[in-house]
Amino acid sequence: MTTRIASGSEETDEEFRRRLVTFLTDRHPGPAPKDPQDRLAWVKGWLATMYDEGFAGPSWPRELGGMDLPFNKQVVYQEEIARSKVPTFIGTGLAIAGPTIIKYGSEEQKQQLLPPLLRGDSLWVQGYSEPDAGSDLPSLRTTARREGDEYVVCGQKIWTTMAQGADIVFTLVRTGTQESRQHGISYLLIDAHQPGVTIQPIRDMAGGRQFSQVTFEDARAPVSNRIGEENGGWPLVRTSLGHERAAGAMNQAAMYRRVVNELIELAHERGATDDQSVRDALADFEMRVRIMRYSAMRVINDIIASGEPGASASTTRLFNTMFEQDLHEFAVDMLGTHGVVRPGGPSSIQRGRWTRGFLSTRASTIGAGTAEIQRNTVAEKVLGLPYDPSMPTT
Amino acid sequence: MALAPTSEQQQLRDSVRRLLERKSTSEDVRALIDGGSQGDERLWRQMSSELGLQGIAIPEHLGGTGAGVAELSIVLEEMGRTLLVGPYFSSIALAGQALVASSDADAQQRWLPRIADGSMTATLAVAEESDRWDGRDCATTVSRDGAEMTLTGIKMFVPDGCTSDVTLVITQDASEPTMFAVERSATVPVVELVESLDLTRPMARLTLDHTPATAIDLGGDPAARVQRIFDLAVIAVAAEQLGGAAKCLEMAVEYARTREQFGRPIGSFQAIKHKCADLLMEIEAARSALLFAARSADSDSEETSIAASTAKVWCSRAFTRAAKENIQIHGGIGYTWEHDAHLYLRRAKTSEMLFGSPAFHRRRVAQLAGIEPRP
Repeated sequence: MTTRIASGSEETDEEFRRRLVTFLTDRHPGPAPKDPQDRLAWVKGWLATMYDEGFAGPSWPRELGGMDLPFNKQVVYQEEIARSKVPTFIGTGLAIAGPTIIKYGSEEQKQQLLPPLLRGDSLWVQGYSEPDAGSDLPSLRTTARREGDEYVVCGQKIWTTMAQGADIVFTLVRTGTQESRQHGISYLLIDAHQPGVTIQPIRDMAGGRQFSQVTFEDARAPVSNRIGEENGGWPLVRTSLGHERAAGAMNQAAMYRRVVNELIELAHERGATDDQSVRDALADFEMRVRIMRYSAMRVINDIIASGEPGASASTTRLFNTMFEQDLHEFAVDMLGTHGVVRPGGPSSIQRGRWTRGFLSTRASTIGAGTAEIQRNTVAEKVLGLPYDPSMPTT
Repeated sequence: MALAPTSEQQQLRDSVRRLLERKSTSEDVRALIDGGSQGDERLWRQMSSELGLQGIAIPEHLGGTGAGVAELSIVLEEMGRTLLVGPYFSSIALAGQALVASSDADAQQRWLPRIADGSMTATLAVAEESDRWDGRDCATTVSRDGAEMTLTGIKMFVPDGCTSDVTLVITQDASEPTMFAVERSATVPVVELVESLDLTRPMARLTLDHTPATAIDLGGDPAARVQRIFDLAVIAVAAEQLGGAAKCLEMAVEYARTREQFGRPIGSFQAIKHKCADLLMEIEAARSALLFAARSADSDSEETSIAASTAKVWCSRAFTRAAKENIQIHGGIGYTWEHDAHLYLRRAKTSEMLFGSPAFHRRRVAQLAGIEPRP
């Protein structure tokens, strides 16, 4: 049964922090199990505990099981969640589809869909990109044909994370003509447990299998699973809620603070800090990880002061992704030939974490919008440079 | 620590920008360069009478407005945008702050009220042939001739050193950091102009030969005082650099929006867009670093030194890169003497070196962050 504090308005940030820390300490789910199935159950169990105790969805409305916290308490929430090392999201549903439905869904959709999503009872995954529609997402070709009160969906989606174990794929599908581009796209939820849905894992260049290709062959979705208007899905794509991601920005900075400390420690252990060029490079990472924290503070301060994240927020992701690539590449260089021992083996250093990171951070400037597309967006939306006339208008 | 600007800070920025956009235009700057870069006395008085800028980070009981490093940084950033010619940086940001950071009430009473109202100017002399700016390795010697103290040595790269009424000199006496004040009457015969790459900021070489000087009390821990004076100077340079960098990006973006080639604005090409986006990223990173450094200095946080060095490295990077890319984006016109782009590149490269090069500050960060090899 749900137990909630009647009103958070009198509770100070520090009182809230203490109440949260008590909960996280008392109900901590312990370390993650190794087996993927057990691990999923472990995450889902924890999400249910958080929901049932009133600690889920910091920015979500209360009537949907969320906490509706003011922004500064969201920051406290993210800090303590990160510090306690409890599992948080599974799939991208909570971060991406949830806010979209909160903002654009019908009352019925919200009531029916969101509580199970927030409680972890239902695992949602994203189907946006396609083999032929990456950066140019408005050219997507997965079609949804109307048949009575159902859509019949055909096409392929790619780069879906956590697809195995998914209950719902939230997709962008073509309901208008191909030429209508972003004006002919709808936002549709598709039940993953049906014969017309096939999930094919993709082995990535680092050897992992976190991505899948999802194929729809006459998959069916009720019209009531469409969020927003038919052909009106595109404006829903970049929905965020109460600057949720900005509230977590400090966590990424804190995480990389730890990583830089560990790299400096490794450099000392291996005697690499005797080398001036190594010290110079480490000092650069030291400064960059500090700036990451300062920028996160700035974004949070700006939101609290003015309600808007300000100019630095637009370039933070570019800064952070380049940082993590450079950091891992430097670590491999510093380790010399030891750095090119394949990860995991007995002769790899620190189980090959730096070498693995060197490979896996190649994705940092590709996923969720390539660095090139981000630069275009910054140039056009923030600096006001003209659109490329050879590109379709957005 | 709050990094968002308060409404008072925003008002300060707006009013300084309004004044300088009218009174420190490209034509004004060029006219002052041709006249020897002494600054515009009318503007100097206006800055004082209308906005009280000279007294901004000086305590109220010493004739200032009692604001902090954060506010001073905003003023300097705005001045860096327009390449303001004049002694504000040397007199207010360097010497004024050095006196505020000293523990010499007499010296403060004697000079700060007049620095704060702009009726006199001062500067700070630190570097010597060894090119160190943090007060170490100074060869200038102190002699006692009865009650009188004198200095002997050569101070290099003293901003506005030819025109300042008082020059504060940092050196070492029996390996203890010390600071002295040398009056203009004593420096006139021994100061000469250094031909600086930056046309907007004259620098001097000061030959001291048993020159009379007044000792400034640096309290029980003079090394800590000198470190603070150095950190404040570093933050001041970084603030100016940030303003210059932002201005260069604005110039480049404005040109890229209007200049047409191949029948379209050059800013619609990704080659230009990506340059500009990367510059904005560098500038915003630099701004985060500067905001944090200024707030750290205001709260006298133990992170001040590492934050100041971080700001100096990043503001140097951002400004020099923005100044270079501004020339590149302007193409041929950007390479002309008439275009202001080179004035910014000259200022950028010179500011990189003032109060410690990026290489120096990178090594200072390495020391402060425990990156130096362990014994």
